[in-house]
Amino acid sequence: MSEAYTHETAIISEGSNSYDRVLDGAIAISILAFATALLALIEIVPLDATGGELGSFLLSLFAAVSGAVGLTAVASWANVVPVTSQRVRGIAVSLVVTAGLLTAIAYAAAVNLATIFGLVLVVEALVIIGAGISSRLAIVDTEPDSSAGLLAGGAFAAVGLVVGGALGGSVVGFDSVLWLLTALVAGGGLGMVTILPREDIGSTLPVGLVVGTLGVAIATAAIGVGWQWNPETLSGGFTGGAVIPLFVLFGTLLSAWSAAKCRAGFGAQGREYGAFFVINLNALLMVSVMIAIVLFVAVKGAAYAIHGFSAGALTILVVLTPALALATEIARSPSGTGDWHPGAATLFRLTPLAATGAVAAVLTTVLVTGQALRYPFTYLIQVNRESEPLETAITITPEPAVGAVMLTLVGALMFVVLFRRYGSLRNVGATFPRAETVRQAVPAAVATVVLLLGAFVVVGSSPAGVPLGTTLGTAVVGAGGLAAVGLTALPVAGVLTRDGPLADRLQASAPLFTVGIFGALGLSIAVLFLQPTAGVAPSVLGVDIVPAAAVLAGLLCAVAAGAASYGARTTDESLQTRLLGEETVLGLTGAAGFVTLLGAHVLATGARFSVLGTAITTEGTFSWPMLMQAYIPLGAEPGGIMPAVVGTVWLVIGASLFALPLGVGAAVFLTEYAEQGRFTAVVEIATNALWSTPSIVFGLFGAAFLIPRLGGNESLLAGMLVLGFMLLPLVLITSRESILAVPDEYRDASAALGVSRWETIRSVVLPAAMPGVITGGILGIGRIAGETAPLILVLGSTLNATEPVKVLQGFRFVAQPPFIVNDQLLAASASLPTQVWAVIAAGVSGSPQMGWATAAILLSVVLTFYGLGITARTYFRRKLNYE
Amino acid sequence: MSETDVTPDTGSTATTTTAGESDERVREAWTEYRAAGQTKLSVDDLDVWYGDDHALKDVSMDIPSESVTALIGPSGCGKSTFLRCLNRMNDRIKAARVEGSVEFDGTEVYDPNANLVELRKRIGMVFQSPNPFPKSIRENISYGPRKHGDINKGLLARLFGRDDTEAEAELVERALKQAALWDEVNDRLDDNALGLSGGQQQRLCIARCLAVDPDVILMDEPASALDPIATSKIEDLVEELAEEYTVVIVTHNMQQAARISDQTAVFLTGGELIEYDDTEKIFENPESQRVEDYITGKFG
Repeated sequence: MSEAYTHETAIISEGSNSYDRVLDGAIAISILAFATALLALIEIVPLDATGGELGSFLLSLFAAVSGAVGLTAVASWANVVPVTSQRVRGIAVSLVVTAGLLTAIAYAAAVNLATIFGLVLVVEALVIIGAGISSRLAIVDTEPDSSAGLLAGGAFAAVGLVVGGALGGSVVGFDSVLWLLTALVAGGGLGMVTILPREDIGSTLPVGLVVGTLGVAIATAAIGVGWQWNPETLSGGFTGGAVIPLFVLFGTLLSAWSAAKCRAGFGAQGREYGAFFVINLNALLMVSVMIAIVLFVAVKGAAYAIHGFSAGALTILVVLTPALALATEIARSPSGTGDWHPGAATLFRLTPLAATGAVAAVLTTVLVTGQALRYPFTYLIQVNRESEPLETAITITPEPAVGAVMLTLVGALMFVVLFRRYGSLRNVGATFPRAETVRQAVPAAVATVVLLLGAFVVVGSSPAGVPLGTTLGTAVVGAGGLAAVGLTALPVAGVLTRDGPLADRLQASAPLFTVGIFGALGLSIAVLFLQPTAGVAPSVLGVDIVPAAAVLAGLLCAVAAGAASYGARTTDESLQTRLLGEETVLGLTGAAGFVTLLGAHVLATGARFSVLGTAITTEGTFSWPMLMQAYIPLGAEPGGIMPAVVGTVWLVIGASLFALPLGVGAAVFLTEYAEQGRFTAVVEIATNALWSTPSIVFGLFGAAFLIPRLGGNESLLAGMLVLGFMLLPLVLITSRESILAVPDEYRDASAALGVSRWETIRSVVLPAAMPGVITGGILGIGRIAGETAPLILVLGSTLNATEPVKVLQGFRFVAQPPFIVNDQLLAASASLPTQVWAVIAAGVSGSPQMGWATAAILLSVVLTFYGLGITARTYFRRKLNYE
Repeated sequence: MSETDVTPDTGSTATTTTAGESDERVREAWTEYRAAGQTKLSVDDLDVWYGDDHALKDVSMDIPSESVTALIGPSGCGKSTFLRCLNRMNDRIKAARVEGSVEFDGTEVYDPNANLVELRKRIGMVFQSPNPFPKSIRENISYGPRKHGDINKGLLARLFGRDDTEAEAELVERALKQAALWDEVNDRLDDNALGLSGGQQQRLCIARCLAVDPDVILMDEPASALDPIATSKIEDLVEELAEEYTVVIVTHNMQQAARISDQTAVFLTGGELIEYDDTEKIFENPESQRVEDYITGKFG
């Protein structure tokens, strides 16, 4: 490692002289001071910090900088991202050096952060003036223009006016007209100094003067931490705490610009490099503000949000399965590592797999040893305006149980993923004895079970007192379960009974794979539905037949997959390898399918099922009180916000279901069908007007128009519709733009093939426009998910909604129009934004911490929606570009 | 032949006034022209307006089957308009108005009850700039047949056991071989078609057109956006296709027309068909002085 560093520093010193290195240092110190001033502005580090406090802060800054630079250097050395630019290397090394220097100063001298800021600015000013003069005296080789330009001159004149006015005012007071004179002199002078001399003086001297003045004022504590200025004309005042970071931000921005110009030798190159820094530091400022908001909310709410979190190790293992699939995918086909160093690419490919393995190993240890992992911590809550500590912990329990919901979801996800991977095994392999019989028998059996199911639904399980369900039902369920196991045994049996090399046997057994696994899945699904309808639970020796059959069938599928995967390694023939790969995927698909069925069985019957000491239950072992508990208004701590989470999810789903089809449909109509003319222009204006309508107006409309027509109460449905109205214009506008951006050539080509307009839209235009449509959807959903004002008016009071809405269970069929009713949709509900508003602004909870925690969760819900949207957009874009 | 000292191109009205007696005589000659072979498309008194602009004036011609008919003429003379009339692509332009008759195998194309889908299936079209869909090569080829229900694919088809994957593979191979593209792309059929070179893209568009099994292929300057090598490949392909299909090709390139076509129609400014005859006759001994001037480069 040290060799690499020596090499790196050698490259820096090779082509650059001390002028370059000093300026790299100036730029680096500007960046550092800029970042520190940002942190000081949001009060992460106090301005009057001295000694050990300041030292430890700067030490962590030094560590962070060293880590970042060090890792980049390693990546550069490993050829992952080769850094060849001398300037980048110079600045990187200077960053480490200056951060170390500042830390040393903080420990050695008794100065506070403000003074250090002042000193930094003074040093910057001296360096920049020095660089300008050495360029003017032709000590270094530069290519300056004849003047820094009128724009820079005007800007510095404005700065001079402000600084001169402030200085003059504070010396002679604002009562005298003299302050105006000093302002004019300073402004004019600075403008002249910028415009008149050659560029190397014009863009350094005024910067030096301004930055130097600021630096001296801060360093001498003329504008110190305790400094205050309350002008009579303003209702507020300025304090040192707010002004100093702003001055430093401004000063460092200026000096970074000027130092960058000097470093690139002025002229066109210099302007380019200077602009680069100003723009990037500005962007940094924006990003920092966003990150600060997120961090601020997260830090304040995190402890409350995760109190009492506990999860079973087995449950986490189940949830880890998709992660394993993803890690395998990354390991198989790493994207974007083509020009990397092979070692680095391998590391990148294997890291996710290794991480998954490590987590799985830890969880397995928990399961095997029976020792829970427990991370206790304390957080403060407010009870009767008093802060009280509350003990809580995050726990990973060794309970050998997994929730049926989780199992079904993960199983279904894996089934879909694997089934999409599975291609085809048609016309492969040898026929097996009585193939036709089996091929006909399986659909017949499935059809019989489905018919029986229908009969039970119509006449009930015991028509006219005849216990059909317990007799026939039990027999069919039992037989079906056993038949499913038998079918899944076919692939393994086929392999075992044939002769020859394993790969050949596997290839010959391909029809057994498809018939066995697909047939067993179909039969099991039918049996699964039959069982609760017939009201039976056949069991042998106390074990339920159906779930036991599912476990066995799943295991057999996994065994078949394992055999195919092993067989693929024993052959060199590429076709055979591919076929056996398909068989492996099919086996895994079957296993995932049976796991899903197992979970669905427990869900449908509610009966706990255990095998080999592992239980599948309806309760599960996953507990997150903040998210999963009902809301306790004004009650004992700690309560949950489940109603609000569920409410927000339903609001977003409802609004999207309402607005997305309508918006995209309207966009298709307007762009593809409607005649471009006055009508479309009017629609466009109306859409834009709707988009800029304040949200409270939507809320008022909902309260005054929708609620009287939707049962007269504040309701979830009204909230969905109002949010849908807000979402509609953005979806319409963005969809329209992206549909218009699809080239007409595609439409021509499709029409020339005799394809109708609607088919063309469906299969060419919409897929090409999809990334844009999705982006519009994301932006809109991100906005409405956090919308508060209209919901306060139409959704109802959070205090009354202490239980989550049960929309799915709320649907009822009635014999008269509208045939389907849902009381839950017409009931008031909670939502995350209104909950935050109620807890923080209206104070309806025992602890303001809860508001912050809710805000943190709201933020993560919104970010999750963004994440989903971006994933979808990337997916469609990739699909479009075949990346 | 003083009337051939035409004024510079001043738009549609200027040239109609210069059409004098001699043009009438020429017109008599080509109206009577019957190319060898069976008539595939018979155009009679076709007029097209774009708004107030009379883009095509009173054009009549018979296009024989299994041959290459070239349409040449300067820019804006209406040859592309004429081509787009043959499979009613002008219907897609709202301001366009078509009068007259086009008969395809004896059936009126502009019959209000005509089946547009069937018509465009049988009269395919290749455009000036290659315009493959942003889909895979395979999907580009099978797009037409799939939309017409000749090929079923996807989850539903698979569940109902009507998956035509093999039929699709055969179709793709046939179309790509016909378009002389198979050898270049057969190992990357599932790659994005937009990743092909311009010439390959154009041949893919031809293959896509052939996949719906048309009788007639209309080509609107198919090689104008391509380099010379790709152009010569397209020209070879056109000559080959003419053995089975009726090809009507619009081109700016006179040598190209002379090389590949059996008969040539010359349009000059104003949307008039000036002369239509065997290609040899047009290029060696045209009736009209204006056509001769155009071909030898004195005009247009």
